[in-house]
Amino acid sequence: MMDWAKASLGKVEASRTFRLDQPAPLLDPTQATALLKQFHPDYLGHERKVEVGPNVGDQKFPLELAELLEGDSPLESDYIPQIDIETDVLILGGGGAGATAALALEGSGLTVHLATKLRLGDSNTVMAEGGIQSALGVEDSPRRHFADALVGGHGDNDPDLLRILCEQGPESIRWLSQLGCLFDQNEDGKFRLRGGGGTSVPRVLACRDYTGLEIMRVLKDAVRLTATQLLEEHVAMELVDDGKGRVTGAILFDRNTGSKVCVSARAVILATGGSGQIRLQGFPTSNHVGATGDGLVLAYRQGCRLIHLDSYQYHPSGACYPEALAGQLVTEAIRSIGAQVVNAEGVHFIDEMAYRDVLAGAIIKEIAEGRGIKTPHGKTGVWLDTPMVDLKKGAGTLANQFPGLIHRFERYNIDPASQPILIYPTLHYQNGGIRVDSECRTDVAGLWACGEVTGGLHGKNRLMGNSLLDITVFGRKSAESVISNIPERGAVTLTHLKRFREERSKIEGGKISPKFFPDASKMKLQTPLVEKEREEKKTPDNFEPHNPFNI
Amino acid sequence: MTVKRVEIKISGKTIQAQEGETVIHALWAAGMAESIKTGCAGGVCGACTVTLRYSDGRTGGTDLACMKPVEAGMEVFPCPVEEDNPVAPVADPEISTLQSAFPTLNRCTKCGSCTTACPMSIPVMDSVLRMQKGEFSEVAEDFTTCIHCGLCRFVCEDKVKPHNMGLWVRRSLGMNQIPPSEKNDKEEDAEKEWQYLLDEDREIRLERARQFRQLGRVEP
Repeated sequence: MMDWAKASLGKVEASRTFRLDQPAPLLDPTQATALLKQFHPDYLGHERKVEVGPNVGDQKFPLELAELLEGDSPLESDYIPQIDIETDVLILGGGGAGATAALALEGSGLTVHLATKLRLGDSNTVMAEGGIQSALGVEDSPRRHFADALVGGHGDNDPDLLRILCEQGPESIRWLSQLGCLFDQNEDGKFRLRGGGGTSVPRVLACRDYTGLEIMRVLKDAVRLTATQLLEEHVAMELVDDGKGRVTGAILFDRNTGSKVCVSARAVILATGGSGQIRLQGFPTSNHVGATGDGLVLAYRQGCRLIHLDSYQYHPSGACYPEALAGQLVTEAIRSIGAQVVNAEGVHFIDEMAYRDVLAGAIIKEIAEGRGIKTPHGKTGVWLDTPMVDLKKGAGTLANQFPGLIHRFERYNIDPASQPILIYPTLHYQNGGIRVDSECRTDVAGLWACGEVTGGLHGKNRLMGNSLLDITVFGRKSAESVISNIPERGAVTLTHLKRFREERSKIEGGKISPKFFPDASKMKLQTPLVEKEREEKKTPDNFEPHNPFNI
Repeated sequence: MTVKRVEIKISGKTIQAQEGETVIHALWAAGMAESIKTGCAGGVCGACTVTLRYSDGRTGGTDLACMKPVEAGMEVFPCPVEEDNPVAPVADPEISTLQSAFPTLNRCTKCGSCTTACPMSIPVMDSVLRMQKGEFSEVAEDFTTCIHCGLCRFVCEDKVKPHNMGLWVRRSLGMNQIPPSEKNDKEEDAEKEWQYLLDEDREIRLERARQFRQLGRVEP
């Protein structure tokens, strides 16, 4: 297989023995900054300020996101909410953060509903591969974890949130273990800790390359054993408020019946995750189908400030070939145990454990300067020299520790243990998000947020293994805060939406948002306004993800 | 390079697809995304289970639409599997507790359908036999890569629930793990280190973090 790349593959093989013990170039902070400014997608000026909402005159947003934030609601203007469900706590989002919050609310005496656009567990959490950080090593401490994450985030992390994350690391692993999560162990029965990009000591626990799957299937099973009422395939269309500034529930759209469901809640926890599927600058993504940034848009209309959303994580190792796997994650853990990043000439051009943003920038630079490998579908990537793992760690290591990688490539007759795979950066994580305090409270009363939808914790570059810890720590934290601060039931109105609509009336045209589903899927919410937009096509999509099959 | 077009059928409806893409991509392009449930589109959530038939006489079977590349003449049918009610795990699992949690454990007739149906290549039937013998560590290992698509349960004539039992075994064993012990963190020292790291000035904070991560402590 991959005969089209024969010449370059030959060079990679020829240089492998030489590369084995040769260190790769490391960039000092000044060089790294220069590289980022020239090649990282965050720094290329594909951004602008927004004209409506709490962030007017403030930071810039990626163009695709700015348009969604300024967009109009899919709710008809004459829609009057009539309560269908009354609950104490409404959780929006069925990934790791939402499921954790539901578990932490069990036994509090509060009734809980969890609504999710897809099914419980269909999320970025389940797709996470490499692991979860926790300061359990002999040389480690929560302070060291903090220092690593702060340097990795370029110093932009909210220090108070980050301290909580790191201090809660060991306790979170205990909590997950007691729920029944199995993490890989060394022969002495202790958890195996691996390094990750930017960790100064080994700190990453894993379950092979299925760590998110392990955590999500346990959380899902545990949630199904609680009293939590699940509203699967219910899309959050809009949040509602009491007319006096407090969020009091949400309007959902039941995908199976096509009808709206109005939920009155005393507290709403937003755990809607990220936005890789808005495909900034046409990048491929490692994210699940529902990752369209809906929660950002909903919270923004209520008056929540967003932070650090000029920063996204482009994971350096997304698959680049075969085409059907394009954008899918190839875990950083493979690099941490020895797979090198190599160009078309077989040159090991950068240390693969550089920070994710720096490594992504370096790969893009290598390709821009003509040292990439072009696939038959017109994509270009560089090699991840996976056979190096067995060479360094012993035959069978790759297959044993990364069964997911082997399984995915097997269908295409590619065995990563014997031949390198082609990689290119993939849109992976929303570094910024809704501003929250150390109790997960947003700027608007009644609304809490946790997980990827929030911003601040990771600064402008998240380290591997800190998002699975994020959802565990702050999923629980949001639930605890809700329990201690639960408001009384309030009225259900669309006052915030009305105010937002008045403010945005100065914008010509504009789109209906949130997006709900990826453009490429052509799925739309079956509501009158969305239908109308589709028919009129008055605002054609200003970008369409590159379809490699249309050649 | 020109990409070859192929025809496939979704629930009897013919659509055009392009060689090299998956069934999910083909459905998206044809505007039929809603005809098969999708979650992660990355092979780990188990939403897009389908059954397949081929026109050239090859044996069909089950798979994940997001992982299955299209082939000319392929017929695809949605096969969504309903969630089953979970059973709470127990510390110290034994054959008897597994048997009472899942009364159909011993009904397996060794037909092997479950193994054939599994899109993750798990030796499901062998593992059910291991469950009957109480070889729980091996079972936990077998189900490491289980995505809970439910196909093994769906195809079982005898209502055995392999993936539910697999998770039950894994969670039960997990609950037995010895949790990591509290480190001997001297609280006083820890607080001093936090004071040092949490300087109000962003630049000083960043510089101190750079220094601290070298040794894991404040340099003397």
